[in-house]
Amino acid sequence: MNESRASRLDLIVTPAIGLLLAVLLFVVWNYSDMDPTTERILEPANLARQLQQQLILAFWSTLLVIIVAIPLGIMVTRGGARGLKNTMVGFLGLMQAIPAYGLIVLFFVWLGQGATTVILALAAFSLLPVLRNTIVGIEQVDPSVIESGKGMGMTPVQRLARIELPLSVPVIISGIRTATVITVGMGALAFLIGGGGLGETINAGLKLNRPTAIFVGAALVALVALAFDFAGALAQRYLHPKGL
Amino acid sequence: MSGIESWFEYLSKRWDLVASTLLETLGYVVSVTVAAAIVAITVGVLTRNRAFPRELSLAIASVFLTIPSLALFTIFIPVVGLGFWPSFIALFLYALLPILRNTVTGLQGVDSSIVESAKGMGMTRLQILFKVELPLAWPVILAGIRVSAMLTVGISAIATLVAGGGLGDFIKSGLARLPLPNSLEAIWTGVILSLLLALAIDSSMRGLGRLTTSAGVRS
Repeated sequence: MNESRASRLDLIVTPAIGLLLAVLLFVVWNYSDMDPTTERILEPANLARQLQQQLILAFWSTLLVIIVAIPLGIMVTRGGARGLKNTMVGFLGLMQAIPAYGLIVLFFVWLGQGATTVILALAAFSLLPVLRNTIVGIEQVDPSVIESGKGMGMTPVQRLARIELPLSVPVIISGIRTATVITVGMGALAFLIGGGGLGETINAGLKLNRPTAIFVGAALVALVALAFDFAGALAQRYLHPKGL
Repeated sequence: MSGIESWFEYLSKRWDLVASTLLETLGYVVSVTVAAAIVAITVGVLTRNRAFPRELSLAIASVFLTIPSLALFTIFIPVVGLGFWPSFIALFLYALLPILRNTVTGLQGVDSSIVESAKGMGMTRLQILFKVELPLAWPVILAGIRVSAMLTVGISAIATLVAGGGLGDFIKSGLARLPLPNSLEAIWTGVILSLLLALAIDSSMRGLGRLTTSAGVRS
């Protein structure tokens, strides 16, 4: 009962807060006095370009995370890799304590300016949720189901592809949703190392002391993250294998 | 290695700055965690027998956690200005969910037959709450407080972007001065001290957990 009620409320509360924020944004955008500097910062063409940059960064880093973390999660849940799994999850958990701000700057020091640097930094920061959920998803599969697969004469690869993975899809998707929200949001920090994104608007507002520009930038970043989280919630609700 | 040596030299020349910056971050951690714990535990306790407000408050708290840090740190600037307050508000909103979720889980995990027997012993509702339910749920609640405290250390590095101080100052000044001497040392100072502070908080709160969990629950 709790699970379904909570997720149903998720589907209502997130868009409700998003709507509230959008209305606030609309009011500020239309009714606040904007001086020429603010207007220049909030040039719609600029905002659109920054939004596009941020989404592209998030797309590639999330894709990279999926490509790396899911096979890695499958690999370490095969028998015999238990020690490796615990070491890896422990290490990544420790990495998680590194501030996102510090991580993105360290990647800049290491790899220099450019979109690749930002994508790798975002991917490093959002690797853990997908990896952890892949491991948890596979491990929560009822061993008796796997046994019956064995009894039916399935090879290990068949058991993985037709039993373990399909049964862990909901958990893995929830990890991908978390990773997407992290990369979309953290892309706002890309401006720090010349990677663009909506953080530029917030930063310009901070530098030039224009609270209206700060608010518009912040509200847009928040709305993008909420939209992706909501889309993820919908995907979690409606995308699962038949029979689950 | 000379890198590590030069880092230690960098640190040894500015202990005062390191100490005061560390204290700023620690100040955020303590004030945010205490404020969030008071609010989240109160909400968790008040809604423990009412499903709708409980799930609603959980859903709202989880929305805060999906809002990117740069956005949440800056969105209140038009109202509260720069410095401590926008950082405190953002960190406070982030810290709510882990504590609230664990308070709810902890209170729901209390065996109803224990509550029944407390009733049978003639305890009032308040006595049951403070002498039975909260002590039994405490280890779980404290685990939530620990998660929030560590979360606060990591995210508070952003505070420097809104002039809120803290260990992020080192990262910001290092980035601004790259590739001049001592810029790398400054960045590593911010990152490593954040990491060490998070680890120190983790282990000290685990210790606190052992000390403050009642003997009967521990065994």
